[in-house]
Amino acid sequence: MATVAAPAPDTSERIDTRLPSMISATTPLRLIVLAAMLAVLLFVIPWLLTAFWMQIMLQAVIYSAVTLGLGLLVGRVGMFSLCQIVFVATGAWVSLRLAQEWSLPFPVLLVLTGLITGAVGAVIGIPALRLSGLYLALITLMAAGALTLLLRVYKFPNGGSGFWGFDKGKPSGSAQLARPAIALGDLAYYRYCVIVVALLFVLVTWHIKGKPGRAWASIRQSQVTAVAAGVDTTLYKLWAFALSACITGVAGALLAAGPGGVTVNQFPVESSILLLAVVLMGGVYSIWGALVAAFLLRILPRLLEQQIGLSPEVLTMLFGVGVIQVLLTTPGGIIADLGRLVDGVRRRLRRSPIGPPAPVTGDDVLVGESS
Amino acid sequence: MPDLKPFIVIGLALGGVYAMSGVGLVVLFRTTGVLNLAYGAVGALGSLVAFTMIDHGQNEWVAYGVAILLGGVLTLLYGWFLGPPLADRDPLVKASATLGFALILLGFMQWRWTADVRSLRLPTSDWQYTWDWLRINVTQAIGVVFPLVVTIGTVLFLKRSKLGAAMRALADDRENTALLGVPVRRVEASAWFVSGLLFGFSGLLLASLVSMEIAALTFSIPIAALAAALIGKVESIWVTFFAAFVIGIIQAELNAFRSLAEFRNMTPFVCAIIVLLWFGWRRQVEGREA
Repeated sequence: MATVAAPAPDTSERIDTRLPSMISATTPLRLIVLAAMLAVLLFVIPWLLTAFWMQIMLQAVIYSAVTLGLGLLVGRVGMFSLCQIVFVATGAWVSLRLAQEWSLPFPVLLVLTGLITGAVGAVIGIPALRLSGLYLALITLMAAGALTLLLRVYKFPNGGSGFWGFDKGKPSGSAQLARPAIALGDLAYYRYCVIVVALLFVLVTWHIKGKPGRAWASIRQSQVTAVAAGVDTTLYKLWAFALSACITGVAGALLAAGPGGVTVNQFPVESSILLLAVVLMGGVYSIWGALVAAFLLRILPRLLEQQIGLSPEVLTMLFGVGVIQVLLTTPGGIIADLGRLVDGVRRRLRRSPIGPPAPVTGDDVLVGESS
Repeated sequence: MPDLKPFIVIGLALGGVYAMSGVGLVVLFRTTGVLNLAYGAVGALGSLVAFTMIDHGQNEWVAYGVAILLGGVLTLLYGWFLGPPLADRDPLVKASATLGFALILLGFMQWRWTADVRSLRLPTSDWQYTWDWLRINVTQAIGVVFPLVVTIGTVLFLKRSKLGAAMRALADDRENTALLGVPVRRVEASAWFVSGLLFGFSGLLLASLVSMEIAALTFSIPIAALAAALIGKVESIWVTFFAAFVIGIIQAELNAFRSLAEFRNMTPFVCAIIVLLWFGWRRQVEGREA
């Protein structure tokens, strides 16, 4: 009797359902590239740019920590937060309030601000443990609205007494945090911020590479499976929210010590929505997407305004189109497109035959769509 | 105890406007599964178009009609072109896409109309009536009565009409409804259009009752309607309706208390947060009991 052998599974066509890795393996070449990038940011950029563009660059560096925090939440855990800009304001407020009360070294102030903002984030994130993704996003939107109004009433501390540290009798324009003694000048402060933000990137990378990263990946892929595998989903979701708020709070403190300080009107609710838009466009599956998002948010509007007279409002419209396009077709965002472009160039340079197209993972399980 | 009476009418009118948008949100969500977060932007754009038309000497009633219709058409266009490709996606992704739409409209409004101070005063605001302590203008009366008519009409429509039954069926199971021969796209388009008309009308009333500041009219002010819809679990039209009135009244009555007046705009956020936390807690308790 003739038997028909079962066809061998064609592994080449198997669909890769894994989520894209947010970071790549550490190789000597990558470390050299990272060190070179840091050197360019620290020494070459200040040499090339004018004082005006250095201010914009400083903002971009600080906001890359904010986009990193949101990218971590969206890309790793599949949770959307619409109150990240309020966390920036919270960080600025906490740092100013602490500095008003005690004379703390700047690094200690940053750490304390991060911890307190992280705790605030955890409190807001508690509903995330029980509610679905959409409801979490909405509760963060509501929290953003409430905290923004609270800030408009009590403003930033201006030397007053009591919990809020605000004296209605005194002028309440911008509030500025005293800079560290080693970074009093604008250039020195820019370099200080680059180093602090680089440390925040290291902190996030360390988390993603470690146990929390694996837990987040499993939650993101399927919460039910994660629970079955023994992952404490409650702890790790809260951890992600707190870490994201902590990083964003530190960015808020850095902003408060920046040129001009901070003002209440700097943090409207719609900015959180714009932030989500650029983070999605930048790419949430790579930590480098945070840099692209910060570029889109802070540098591109100025660049286009100066070079071709394009109004920032037109860019807001383009960001709206960009979000829809990302959600419909390119979940990896610009950074994934850049990655594909670099791969293509590399293949051409090596003159190797074009291989199979890289699997576009995550298409069907984009943000927040894991079960 | 401060005198609360002067703020009742404005509270009812505000609540009514929130209710109208809230009912629009619920009908759309039940039919298409989309929580349209661009509803404020749609209403804001309509009111700005009406303002410009009146400024250019057009008949104001025509301008108001165009504003409401624009709300319907814009929402329909979004739903027609982007509804189907996103139909099978997670509700969070669908809602995020509407945020993209809101950004497009916000950017356009800020580019075209800039941040100049402007105000839109409906002619009905000048038709004032006074009985004893009660002082009401017709805009406020419309804000109170029209949402009630809309809500009763919507409930009856969903219960009694063929299209309403199709909408309810879609809310239950989209695929089975399509298998039964219901023209899904047309039914969804109706929901998009009708909800858009409600958003347009609400935007017009909010611009007249509260402010015409573009960013506020797009996100901050109409967010109370979303809070009301959330309290109704984006499911119950009547709970949304009453929640909107409660929010509107509390928000207005806080004006009477000097120490709380500056916190009045926090009312919708606080109400929604409390209710969402309650839902979360209930879900956990029910989960434990099960």
